Amino acid sequence: MLRVAGLTRRFGDHLALDDVTFDVVPGRMTGFVGANGAGKTTTMRIILGVLAANAGEVLWNGELLTQEVRRDVGYMPEERGLYPKMKIRDQLVFFGRLHGLSPDRASERADKLLERLGLAERATDALETLSLGNQQRVQIAAALVHEPIALVLDEPFSGLDPLAVDAMVDLLREEVTSEVPVLFSSHQLDLVERLCDDLVVLSRGKVVAAGSVADLSAGSTSTYRLVVDGDAGWLRDVRGIEVRDVAGGTALFDVLDEAVEQKILQEALSRGPVREFGPARVALSDVFREATR
Amino acid sequence: MNVLDRPWALIAEREISTKLRDKTFIGSTLVMLFIVMVAVILPAILAGRGGADKIAVIDDAGAKVVQQASTTQGGDGYEVVRVADRPAAEQQVTDGDVKAALLPGPDGYVVLGKDRVDAGIESALREAAAAVGMEANAAKAGLTPEQLHSGTKVDVQLLKPGPLPDLVSQFVNIGLALVFYMTALGFGMMIAQSVVQEKESRVVEILAAAVPIRSLLWGKVLGNTVLALSQIVVIAAASLIGLLATDQADILEVVAPVAGWFVVFFVLGFVALAGLWAVAGSLATRQEDLGSTTLPGQMILMIPFFFSVFAGSSAKTVASFVPIASSMSMPGRMLTEDVPIWQPLVAIALLLGATVLIVRLGARLYERTLLQTGRRLGYREALALESR
Repeated sequence: MLRVAGLTRRFGDHLALDDVTFDVVPGRMTGFVGANGAGKTTTMRIILGVLAANAGEVLWNGELLTQEVRRDVGYMPEERGLYPKMKIRDQLVFFGRLHGLSPDRASERADKLLERLGLAERATDALETLSLGNQQRVQIAAALVHEPIALVLDEPFSGLDPLAVDAMVDLLREEVTSEVPVLFSSHQLDLVERLCDDLVVLSRGKVVAAGSVADLSAGSTSTYRLVVDGDAGWLRDVRGIEVRDVAGGTALFDVLDEAVEQKILQEALSRGPVREFGPARVALSDVFREATR
Repeated sequence: MNVLDRPWALIAEREISTKLRDKTFIGSTLVMLFIVMVAVILPAILAGRGGADKIAVIDDAGAKVVQQASTTQGGDGYEVVRVADRPAAEQQVTDGDVKAALLPGPDGYVVLGKDRVDAGIESALREAAAAVGMEANAAKAGLTPEQLHSGTKVDVQLLKPGPLPDLVSQFVNIGLALVFYMTALGFGMMIAQSVVQEKESRVVEILAAAVPIRSLLWGKVLGNTVLALSQIVVIAAASLIGLLATDQADILEVVAPVAGWFVVFFVLGFVALAGLWAVAGSLATRQEDLGSTTLPGQMILMIPFFFSVFAGSSAKTVASFVPIASSMSMPGRMLTEDVPIWQPLVAIALLLGATVLIVRLGARLYERTLLQTGRRLGYREALALESR
């Protein structure tokens, strides 16, 4: 497990990270969200040792993350970059070896990934001759080539069309085994909601929400939504609930007394057809907005 | 089995293999090779050592004189071309088929030239004609050639054989300084460019995450030092072949003992500068910044270069102890003067100390500035930066 504990970082007078603590659990994808300048990239760079923290530490399975272990982590920086004039296969082999693979193993992995990404016939082309989408694929491959023990991906899907995103996600799922923790940052909340198991929300250098996506987006578990034919205005007279909103046959209400929602369902059925009934899920964007307010 | 313990080796390997595939690098090496070959071979051709000069003669007496001249020159100086008569000889001279013609004259011989007669040919023929004539006259007087020549041989002995004549030594001095200057400048710019390229393309972020930044620096310095040395070896080998092919191998006897010293001075000076050049690259954020960030490096090279070329001999002696400048002037001095052995040793000790200092400082600056991609930094600013 990858743990970030009490990270604090100042740039001059600006406090970029303030006691940031969270876990990235193996086999789960952890989404890392926050507004621009919230400190996501700073956190990731500290995890990779590219930047030093003023306080706090990065732990791997309970011990300080050392340079040796860090080399086995896969990293895709926010600002993309590989060697523009180097052939893409050579490039992947180089990064594989840089991360400690033997030359043979690195070649094997490079070939496999290029094959998998549909870039096998372009293996000897220079990176700069590829389309931006394909360059992005190579970039992901460079982060995966050494079979990383953990992955840190900074905005891995930005600039990709939905089909390319799906292809990337498939690749990640295929390559990432159940022992590998994955942390990725993104602005695209719908994507995070779809892909991630866990979520860490950062605002102005502080963690303002963390937990599983299911828990976070369930919101308060006591909010219900009811859709019936006809008018739902009768809910206003029911005791033990607080109506948030009624518009025609659609209503949103908070349950105050235990089990009162079952009575309401029965009541609604007795009045006519019920089209929808259940706890109201909160969109992740609302969670985000709420948390970062 | 893998590079975990020595990532710098992998960085160096990439640096070398990239350069070896770089058309500009290969091209410039070939151009240098060509220039050196021309410089080595051309003088030999101009000096006429490429082949024997043809001299036209019309009778046996003329042929004998030309052969005598050829023997004096070491065997193959001149070639006899037999023609029928004077008009035929004139024709050959006018057409340039022969350098000159040796014809019987009223009291001896006439040397025939087109617009002029080469001074070397003239004096060689004059001497030979005199020798042949005197031998013939001596024979009439009953003397053998040995008797005739006894007591007339002049040998030259030098009390203090200087390594090279003045003009040549000046030339060699400049040449050795130039080799270091050109190589250090050329590779220096390449190092700075390759660093800034990694910053520009942001690949440096991945590199820095995978290996210690110092390894990146060492790899670059090592790779380029190996490349620079091999380039020099290739060029040296080419000029060696050129010298052998044109019979100038005698120069080697003078140059060979200094070659080892040159390599030591070269490597130390080059490594120190390479550290600086890498810093010049890491201070910049774009290729365009290199003009200003490489300025100190260029100065450190240029000032000692012109100094070692144009300064007087006592100033040159001082320069040959100053680190970096010593790389350019000490090997040349050793070649052209009698330098006591302690001098290069002291110079190497000083250079070694300076190299360690410069490289250490360079590594520190490199570590602090490599990941600063926002804007170009100055040297003073970089020194004031806190560590990451």
